Amino acid sequence: MSGDDLFAAEESIIAAAEQLIADGGFGAAGEREHFQQLLKNYQKLFRTARRLMRLGDHNERQLNAAATVIAQKNSELQALSTKLSKYLSPQIYDSIFSGAQGVEIASNRKKLTIFFSDVVNFTETTDKLESEDLTNLLNRYLTEMSNIALQYGATIDKYIGDAVMVFFGDPETKGVKEDARACVRMAIAMLRRMRELQSEWQELGAEKPFRLRIGINTGFVTVGNFGSSERMDYTIIGNAVNLTARLQSHAEIDGIMLGHETYSLVKDEVAAEEQKPFKIKGFAEPVRAYKVLGLYDDLADEGLVIREEQDGFRFLLDLQKHDKDAAIGKVEELLARLKK
Amino acid sequence: MMWKFEIPATARTPEVSFDFGENHLKLAGESYPEDVTEFYNPLFNALDTYLAKLGKGKCRFDFELIYLNSSSAKAIMMLMDKLDAAAANGASIDVFWHYDKEDDTMQELGEEFGEDLANAKFHLEKMAG
Repeated sequence: MSGDDLFAAEESIIAAAEQLIADGGFGAAGEREHFQQLLKNYQKLFRTARRLMRLGDHNERQLNAAATVIAQKNSELQALSTKLSKYLSPQIYDSIFSGAQGVEIASNRKKLTIFFSDVVNFTETTDKLESEDLTNLLNRYLTEMSNIALQYGATIDKYIGDAVMVFFGDPETKGVKEDARACVRMAIAMLRRMRELQSEWQELGAEKPFRLRIGINTGFVTVGNFGSSERMDYTIIGNAVNLTARLQSHAEIDGIMLGHETYSLVKDEVAAEEQKPFKIKGFAEPVRAYKVLGLYDDLADEGLVIREEQDGFRFLLDLQKHDKDAAIGKVEELLARLKK
Repeated sequence: MMWKFEIPATARTPEVSFDFGENHLKLAGESYPEDVTEFYNPLFNALDTYLAKLGKGKCRFDFELIYLNSSSAKAIMMLMDKLDAAAANGASIDVFWHYDKEDDTMQELGEEFGEDLANAKFHLEKMAG
């Protein structure tokens, strides 16, 4: 239906009224003038209605065109932000895009659990590789580790070559204790995955399988945006961070070294062996550190630990630390006390 | 009477520049106010007062509108009626309708406004740029 057809009825009324005047209708002077004025006003109102309708349609077309452009721009921005998101830890990306996190230079003091890992002799292991093969190998390794980190809720701070630095407790936290536990569970899962992937590293060209050293520590750090207003990093700084890196360098191959505070937080579920305190550059006192032996649940499955835990009842026997017969004697003594 | 009636442009309303002393009135920009009567009523009142005193004097009114919604278009028609009525009473009134050269609708709208003016002189002008 064309625009003209829409107004066919109004046009026929105008034509009929004009014909009526032409035929000498409304012969009385007053009546005729009134009718002519009425017709004139009707014609004007009719023109106005047509104009406004056309203008409304025009504006709608413009708005639709603008909406299309906006949708296209949105889609471009979405694609761009997806690309940029790869440069950020997902939690940081989410907190920035939801508006919870500002992008100004600002920081907070928080108690976090920090994780450092490093591939032992990475340079020697990959020395003879072409750079393309090295890239594949490194990316495969970092992808595997990052997937595990994200699965356990870590915030990935940065990759420094083959080294990985993540932390727990910011921007999301489940409490200091649970953050520390999640971190140790993650580290154990990473070592397990590394063992599973040993043959793959060699297939990808590494001369020897990748082996890790891991350091974990809990402490107050300053977390936030550091840098300039043009280029900033969301990261953590502080003594606790330096100590974690040092703990990592003291860990055994395929081993995890915990700082004292982390150990205190996880000792209910993590078996660990205290090390002889050692001096670390920059720290006045020797540092207390603990070598992780495993999760009690896993060790119980292997028969290395007997563990029973209910509300108000806890029993833990580490057979790696205690002689079995001596332990039986101690338990019998406890039974006798219980039966009294 | 006041010699000038001015309202700066906002995102939704045009710039109003009524220089009564110079007999030069102008409306420029975009017009889609939230409340069209609240915005245009003061303009109508100022224009009525001015035109009542204009007598047989000269006046130029420039419309430089880029976008207007339907309610604003009706308000513009009412402004045109006032100008035409003043011209019918002997004033010499020139109405300039400036349109974006790429906007056929605004050009057609201007042409039609011009056809409605029986007494004021109407000029259709392409906007520069």
